[in-house]
Amino acid sequence: MTFLIQQTLIYAVPLMIVALAGVFAERSGIINLALEGIMIFGAFIGVLFVQIMQQTGAFDGAKSDGNWLALQGLMLLTMLVTAAAGALFSLLLSFASVNLRADQTIGGTALNLLAPALVLFLIRIIANQNTLYIDGDAASWFMLRKSDLGFGRNDDLGFLGETFLHRVYPATYVCILLFVVLSIILYKTKFGLRLRSCGENPQAADSLGINVYQMRYAGTSISGALAGIGGFVYALTTANCSSNGDVAGFGFLALAVMIFGNWKPLNIAGAALLFGLFKCVAASYTSIDINGDGVYLLANIPISPHFYRMLPYLITLIVLAFTSKKSRAPKAEGIPYDKGQR
Amino acid sequence: MDSENVIEMLHITKEFPGIIANDDITLQLRRGEIHALLGENGAGKSTLMSVLFGLYQPEKGVIKKNGQVVQINDPNDATALGIGMVHQHFKLIEVFTVLDNIILGAETTKAGFLQKKEARAKVEALSERYGLKVDLDAKVEDITVGMQQRVEILKMLYRDNEILIFDEPTAVLTPQEIDELMATMKEFAKEGKSILFISHKLNEIMAVSDRVTVLRKGKYIGTVDTKDTDKQSLSDMMVGRSVQLEVHKEPAQPGEAVLSLRDFCVPSRAHKRNAVDHVSFDVRAGEILCIAGIDGNGQTELVYGLTGLEKSSGGTATLCGEDISHASIRHRGKNMSHIPEDRHKHGLVLDFTLEQNLVLQRYQEKRFQTKGFINRGAVREYANQLIAQYDVRSGQGPVTAARSMSGGNQQKAIIARELDREKPLIVAVQPTRGLDVGAIEYIHSQLVAERDKGRAVLLVSLELDEVMNLSDRILVMYEGEIVGEFDPKQTDVQELGLYMAGAKRAQEKGGRPA
Amino acid sequence: MKEKWSHLMKKDGAKTVAASVISILIGLLVGCIIVIITGLTSGNMDGASVWDGVRLVLGGILSTGRDASGSLTFGFNPTNVGNMLFRATPLILTGLSVAVAFKTGLFNIGAPGQYLIGTAATLITALSIPTSAVPSPIVWLLAFLAGVLAGALWGAIPGLVKALLNINEVLACIMTNWIAANLVTWIFDNSVWRNLEEYGKTNYIYKTSHNGVETARAGLEALFPGSQVNWGFGIAVVIAILVYVFMTKTTMGYELMACGSNRHAARYAGVSDRRNIVLSMAIAGALSGAAAALYYLSGNTEFYWQTYQSLPATGFNGIPVALLAASNPIGVIFTGCFMSMLNIVGQQLTSLTAFNEYITDVIIATIVYLSAFSLVIKLWLSGRKKHKAQPPAVPAASAADGKTEKGGEDA
Repeated sequence: MTFLIQQTLIYAVPLMIVALAGVFAERSGIINLALEGIMIFGAFIGVLFVQIMQQTGAFDGAKSDGNWLALQGLMLLTMLVTAAAGALFSLLLSFASVNLRADQTIGGTALNLLAPALVLFLIRIIANQNTLYIDGDAASWFMLRKSDLGFGRNDDLGFLGETFLHRVYPATYVCILLFVVLSIILYKTKFGLRLRSCGENPQAADSLGINVYQMRYAGTSISGALAGIGGFVYALTTANCSSNGDVAGFGFLALAVMIFGNWKPLNIAGAALLFGLFKCVAASYTSIDINGDGVYLLANIPISPHFYRMLPYLITLIVLAFTSKKSRAPKAEGIPYDKGQR
Repeated sequence: MDSENVIEMLHITKEFPGIIANDDITLQLRRGEIHALLGENGAGKSTLMSVLFGLYQPEKGVIKKNGQVVQINDPNDATALGIGMVHQHFKLIEVFTVLDNIILGAETTKAGFLQKKEARAKVEALSERYGLKVDLDAKVEDITVGMQQRVEILKMLYRDNEILIFDEPTAVLTPQEIDELMATMKEFAKEGKSILFISHKLNEIMAVSDRVTVLRKGKYIGTVDTKDTDKQSLSDMMVGRSVQLEVHKEPAQPGEAVLSLRDFCVPSRAHKRNAVDHVSFDVRAGEILCIAGIDGNGQTELVYGLTGLEKSSGGTATLCGEDISHASIRHRGKNMSHIPEDRHKHGLVLDFTLEQNLVLQRYQEKRFQTKGFINRGAVREYANQLIAQYDVRSGQGPVTAARSMSGGNQQKAIIARELDREKPLIVAVQPTRGLDVGAIEYIHSQLVAERDKGRAVLLVSLELDEVMNLSDRILVMYEGEIVGEFDPKQTDVQELGLYMAGAKRAQEKGGRPA
Repeated sequence: MKEKWSHLMKKDGAKTVAASVISILIGLLVGCIIVIITGLTSGNMDGASVWDGVRLVLGGILSTGRDASGSLTFGFNPTNVGNMLFRATPLILTGLSVAVAFKTGLFNIGAPGQYLIGTAATLITALSIPTSAVPSPIVWLLAFLAGVLAGALWGAIPGLVKALLNINEVLACIMTNWIAANLVTWIFDNSVWRNLEEYGKTNYIYKTSHNGVETARAGLEALFPGSQVNWGFGIAVVIAILVYVFMTKTTMGYELMACGSNRHAARYAGVSDRRNIVLSMAIAGALSGAAAALYYLSGNTEFYWQTYQSLPATGFNGIPVALLAASNPIGVIFTGCFMSMLNIVGQQLTSLTAFNEYITDVIIATIVYLSAFSLVIKLWLSGRKKHKAQPPAVPAASAADGKTEKGGEDA
């Protein structure tokens, strides 16, 4: 059970944060189909940054001393860097859709093509292979263990403690905190109110002196930052902190989560957990021991592993089929705003 | 004298690619007056007001406030100068609450967080003082159009505006609501606020304004005191020639019923109730039957249900003796032509050429295709014939892209296409919306001519003048039901208004054909 | 001369071509810049290798390798040109697939999935019917049709969910892509079609020539020695012309285009928009299926069946092919060739320099990015005579108008 919850969180948290990335863009009126590409880019920059930091040797001491606070500092720093990288990359989308009034779907697709191409090109040049790895094991660098918190190796912290304090990536909790803070900003602040108005009726926002272009840039940049972080956290937790120009459709799953969650943070959190569970089952059904009796139930059912791998995508399609009638997208999303055409 | 002008717009010129929307226009607004701005659609009224509100920058001319030249770069500048505007199409966020809509852009915050308490108190006080009743916590999409307008007015008051612009504010209101609005406007003027009132409706201008400035085709025609003028001379100034304000037509000679609706229902997209609720009436050959009502009372859905764009949920529709309630759109089109409400959404494929649009329903007829291949020669020939017959003007004739045509000619093309199909029933929804007087006259005369050929015409209109002038019989629709039937010769706008607002309804007689 | 130019620029078609050429040039420029930057910042490359890289990016199709002294040589290379035509074959067809959907207002990003399903159907048919019993041309034809049909059915799925449930076709396509990738892996896992004869080919399916089925080459091998080219290219060109005739001259094409330009007006006119959405996606799927069929029926290509983690680039590259051609089926023939040329260029870069083939993907992505605002480029091209232009009644729509609707909203 502990394993199941931890694994589900590992998938659900990036999904959640990237779906929220989608919300910020779409609530400002820009369809961000490029989430996938931005994730790929964020993952690459994050892995590259960690690798460079390792090469400078600045954290070697912290690593050998087991100074987990310093290592988590590196973690936070990397997240900041990936956020910046994601935001920068997303500027390509905002420039095309806001200033040039381009077709946002095609613009997003272009970024989705660009990110893996650029990343693979650079990885080939940097590493002379198709995947970029950090030195050593991601878990040994960034995973939090109960021993780090001063508990003994054999102390039993109870169910909650074992689940949430042992063998976890604190980055996950940073993401959850970020999710909560940004959701509050979206609903309780002046900025949030204005951002949402631009996705619903930019003409009205403009007539009230709100700079629609600025708001859309802001929305898309926040979106890019979150997707960048999401990409890195995904790479960290599921790919042992490596980058190979692919996040297996995760950005698109996040879009589906966003639609399923009806563009509302609370619903999105729920939807992300559900999808995380399916993704977790798909990835590790052979090692899931649901009731802790040592029997790997799912592995024993004679269902092809290919079916489990297909499951998240199939479920997404089915879920969309059931929810699409009720869902309500921001009214002005995808429509370029032209000041001249009021 | 000059000092009493709060706002002066002097020699304003605003150009758009290919068109001069405002050509050397001067407008002076005095403190405490209601100043009407009169002009046809496309005369440049809205452009001029957008310049004043900071939405456009003029190429030439200056704006003065209290004698000082001011620069208005965006709506923020306008607000800072105390200028507020109720736009023709309301600038409201449908999914936001009324309160959020009022404070948007002028929020009070503490560390970035919204402080709604003070705002609420202020809005409530204003609402009380001017009798502008609104529900602050309702979402805009759930409230009536009249209340939406009150929200717009409160938005201006909340910002302490002293100069209030009303852009065509009466188009969406019932006659009674219009009276209330006029009273509120006079109240504002009495308090020293200055009001610019944009309209093309002469009655309202005569009733409420102190002075009138007339624009025509982007040019300044003149400013007159309302008490020194009358409707006819204003109308002549506006159009530039004498216009007939009445449609000339012989009394109708109605024949058999072409279309019969019985307990016809159409579901609503917005809410669970029926948008059209058990409606029954006949349209007879050789008459123009008009459905009057405030926008959003089920007229659109009635037409959708009738033409097949939306599924009906109950009752029957019989067209030329055949039950069409569940027929396909194409099948219904065999005996019905449809001039749609929205010419860009339904009426035309804007990326197609004019000739392609003229055969939009007919490309499958034998004369236009052989074995699935379109017969281009026949299409071209037919298009040329229609273009000549209905005087549709365009840059390159039949191969002009529909998108590049003017609104009036786009509408003419639709009228040509629909009337030439020669169907027994013509459904015309707001056929003259947004057109100038010349085009309106032309379309009215065409519809009367079709009536005289023995066709049944079902006209849906929001313009009461059009309803009174054109129809042989009037049905008023309110909240999805027919609430009254009238003979235009024996009723007046005031009576219709009471029915349109739901204040009165006929006993059982309404909704049942005689 | 100047007058002639401005006269030409009045024609919309000419502007479209000019916009595409500009996109291509900027794309190549970006490619060169990246080569220069990476070359100069990377420690193990010198100015000469950067110059080699730039020359190959721009003219790789004419590369004839290196001479004895190690410098690049250029000239007509029949092998490269033949391979370009061979690789253009599926690209033209996936490009058509995307283009047909665009014309109907849909964004078919599902071409990779349709291509995979088409591949599976083609290979299974071609390898399962014994040529000892059935003449191989008949088997070829059946396999081709199987690929087309399977692609059509797979393409119809997002069409159906869009038409009936109004689910955004982009999301539906992406999900069906990954489902297809897993499904195809599932089908071939432990199957009899795996190549078990050649050592080291464990994850490959037999070539269709294993069963004696392959596309005719009739003379082409003499024209382009050493290349893979066959008459599949001719078939692709013929299909492109047929699609052009279908879209512009027939009533069905008229309906599809009406739905694509204005779904509401088409409905108003009695055209069933739902039927046309499904039809358009099925045609798109059929074309992607045909792409896969022609590629794998060549007899000298083999299919790596463990696809569950990756989608075929040929499918995605149909998007730039269609965008560059502004969805014109005849234009797709040329842009398809251009894209396959870039592919050859990438190959040359990998084999002859320290750079790699991914640079061409960067160029392609840049071109797609520019296509997103090709309208702005077109406006800019006609900018000089702005004052004569009639004011349009409504804002001009973008190339793929209306396809940006989201899941639940009927915009």
